[in-house]
Amino acid sequence: MTVEVRPLGDKCNIKCRYCYQEGIRTAGNVPTRYDLDAIMATLDRLAEPFSLFGGEIMMTRRPDLERLMQLGFDRHGGVGMQTNGTLIEERDIELFRKYRVRIGISIDGPGPLNDARWAGSLPATRRATARIEAVIETLCREGMPPNVIVTLNRMNAAPERLGVLCEWIRFLGSLGVRKLRLHLLEQDETEGGEGLALTAQENLAALRRLRRLEQELPSVQFDIFAEMAAMLRGDDARTSCVFHACDPYATRAVVGVESDGRLGNCGRTNKDGVTHLRAGREAFERQLSLYRTPQAEGGCQGCRFFLACKGNCPGTAIGGDWRMRSVDCPVWFGLFEDIETELQAKGETAISRSERRSDLEAKMIAAWSIGDNPTLHSLIEQVDAP
Amino acid sequence: MTSAWLTWPRPPLAATPREPVVAKAATQRISFSGPQARSLWQPRLERLRHVALAIEFEKVRQGRIPATLVWTDYDGVDALTEQARAIGLDAKPVKASLGYAADWPPEASIDEPKRLLDYAFLIGARPLDASIAEPAADGLAQAAMRFGYPACCARSWANDLRHGGSDPLASLLARDDKAAMPAHVALAVLGLGPLRHAPCSADCLASREGSRAFLDLGRELGFVEEMAWLEEIADWAVDASLVNGIAEITTATFRCTWLSDEGAARARPLRRAVMRPEKRKAAPGEPADSANILTEFGNGFEAAGFESPFAMRSRFSTVVWEQTAALRRATSAVHVGCREGLLLELIAQTKSKLKLYGTEEDAAAAEAARRRLGASLPVLGGAGLEALAALARLVPEGLDLAFVDPKQLGGRDALAAVRAIAKTVIVIGTDRSLHRFKDMNAYAAAMGLALLPGRAARVSAALSPANDRLH
Repeated sequence: MTVEVRPLGDKCNIKCRYCYQEGIRTAGNVPTRYDLDAIMATLDRLAEPFSLFGGEIMMTRRPDLERLMQLGFDRHGGVGMQTNGTLIEERDIELFRKYRVRIGISIDGPGPLNDARWAGSLPATRRATARIEAVIETLCREGMPPNVIVTLNRMNAAPERLGVLCEWIRFLGSLGVRKLRLHLLEQDETEGGEGLALTAQENLAALRRLRRLEQELPSVQFDIFAEMAAMLRGDDARTSCVFHACDPYATRAVVGVESDGRLGNCGRTNKDGVTHLRAGREAFERQLSLYRTPQAEGGCQGCRFFLACKGNCPGTAIGGDWRMRSVDCPVWFGLFEDIETELQAKGETAISRSERRSDLEAKMIAAWSIGDNPTLHSLIEQVDAP
Repeated sequence: MTSAWLTWPRPPLAATPREPVVAKAATQRISFSGPQARSLWQPRLERLRHVALAIEFEKVRQGRIPATLVWTDYDGVDALTEQARAIGLDAKPVKASLGYAADWPPEASIDEPKRLLDYAFLIGARPLDASIAEPAADGLAQAAMRFGYPACCARSWANDLRHGGSDPLASLLARDDKAAMPAHVALAVLGLGPLRHAPCSADCLASREGSRAFLDLGRELGFVEEMAWLEEIADWAVDASLVNGIAEITTATFRCTWLSDEGAARARPLRRAVMRPEKRKAAPGEPADSANILTEFGNGFEAAGFESPFAMRSRFSTVVWEQTAALRRATSAVHVGCREGLLLELIAQTKSKLKLYGTEEDAAAAEAARRRLGASLPVLGGAGLEALAALARLVPEGLDLAFVDPKQLGGRDALAAVRAIAKTVIVIGTDRSLHRFKDMNAYAAAMGLALLPGRAARVSAALSPANDRLH
């Protein structure tokens, strides 16, 4: 479980248009104040490592931010932080070091490749991008290389730009960046006209190229490819939330601690501008429905990758309706096929091709039906047990 | 207090519904729209659950319906039967079902399976014949009417049951009727009343009458405030939909969802996008191709001492970031040996009012810098000292900052000329110099320079005003 502390909710200084939180901001549902004591009390109660999140976490008052960092350091030996990097200043570097802050920075590339992360005007956008680039280099030089999140879109991964993106990632590797997370741009009907989203074919081509790049750069890891391979092996102990049957009413992988200390859900499924609170019961209606619903109707019926994929993130569902499978299905399917082929070539059996697949599916469906969500690994052990 | 849940709708029910206690599932899947909504309505809904049970029991006691069906977990069995007996009713267990794993008490274990089950009890007047909830020989519709269904709704519900349905609301949603869903119909699934039977349509008048009778009885029993809450709920705007068998109801106060037995074949897939606030339009601009972008980053990276255009851009960005305070104080600056003007462009982005100058010996690079920076930012050509002399003439009052790579300066005279023009000299570390000397201090020392103490000097630093011996 990831605990995300969000003192200012979705408030952000740059407001990227493709950001999944933009609906909340446009609806005006952003807190202007926060209750730090309530937040810290909730963190005490949860007793889990946490990440400082947003919106943009660096908009939080520095003394309050330091208290949160100190709490993370004292209780858990450190704290995660996800930021757009534009508000980091020289004085923050020492805080990061002092409290062992593990930093993740969102940037789509250098200069014009990051233009989708719009900051109000082109000069402001380019200025913000230059600051992020500076922060990445500074953190690397300080021995605290950040993880980098890159969202693939037309400004950085269109066919005519993909080469530049790859070379920049190569450069990041030379600086000391070790981990990159790749996101697909969230697509929905209101954003279709914005022209930022790649087609499924372009996304797949970009991911395939980046996967080849990963093999050329042993020091840099894109976590998504390793996780997909792990899912096909049935080894899901450390894979990320999109592969774990997310319930948008009570997201298990991500728990938000909001401005007043209450628990919130992952915001990716908040499409109507409302940050709903967690439901009392976790359930798996989405996965149960997808399993029995024909693919032509937005389901996953008959898909051999269902156990590994589970319809992917409900925040990326077709038409913005969490009950459908991910709109990025063709991309994930293509990548799963690639990885499946490679595993088989190496003599490994992917669960998608396993004789035990239908048995495993039946066990998983039975578990979800009573509200349980076992790991794939535990089911495989059950099936293999004498 | 009891952990009992009224079924919704009343019997007759499908033999094998997907979830035995849909009302419980839907209630537990309530997700409030905010803390205020939750603090107000969560206790009210909980109270309404108990009140609905009391009203339903009273209906049975008064003989208006022969019985009702209630589910409870194992720990609630005693309380439920006691509640029934207290008003002269009997409670007979009629069914058990494996409960929901998430609801299992932490201390329950597989060794004590009775605690993992949910139990259905028929509550009715003594002597209680458990078969009355079963479809009678005269059919499902007659059974439904015995349990208080109006004739139209009894026929409709019987028809639904015969076709494998078990979820009246999902069935209504699956029908392609365009009628708006009134809140008291949509939220009946929570089992709180006032609508206790499966209605034949969203606007069934007989069902409205049934709801009114429930409210009246509630008031007679003294639940005046609670019935006012139910009436308030009935006025809510709701959005109800069924997609691939998953029903979802959204109100301004909460949303809830449950998995219905209405399968994909009978479902009305939601084909519209979820309503959401309109977003602003995207940044304008056509993506340039790789060659243009690399040109924008700067072709002269090798001559400038960098391993790649990305390294040069990153370094210059870092120099600007490190020197934020100096730039904030300054009103003018020069980049000596500015190549194609990238550092000056990044400085201009940070502080557009700064008066900036560049010098560049390479004519082609100087021309590229002029194209990048525009006419308002002078880039002076010619050999190093010559360009610096021209700059001194152009800005006789001098400059606040000068950015230099000592390696590119060409000697002590050039540094002296820079010092003569600029109040503060900022040294830039290129890939070439940092790879060779490891850090700025070592680099400066190797060049015979001294850095201003007191600040981290990762890739740039101000020169000390002390005498230097540039090698």
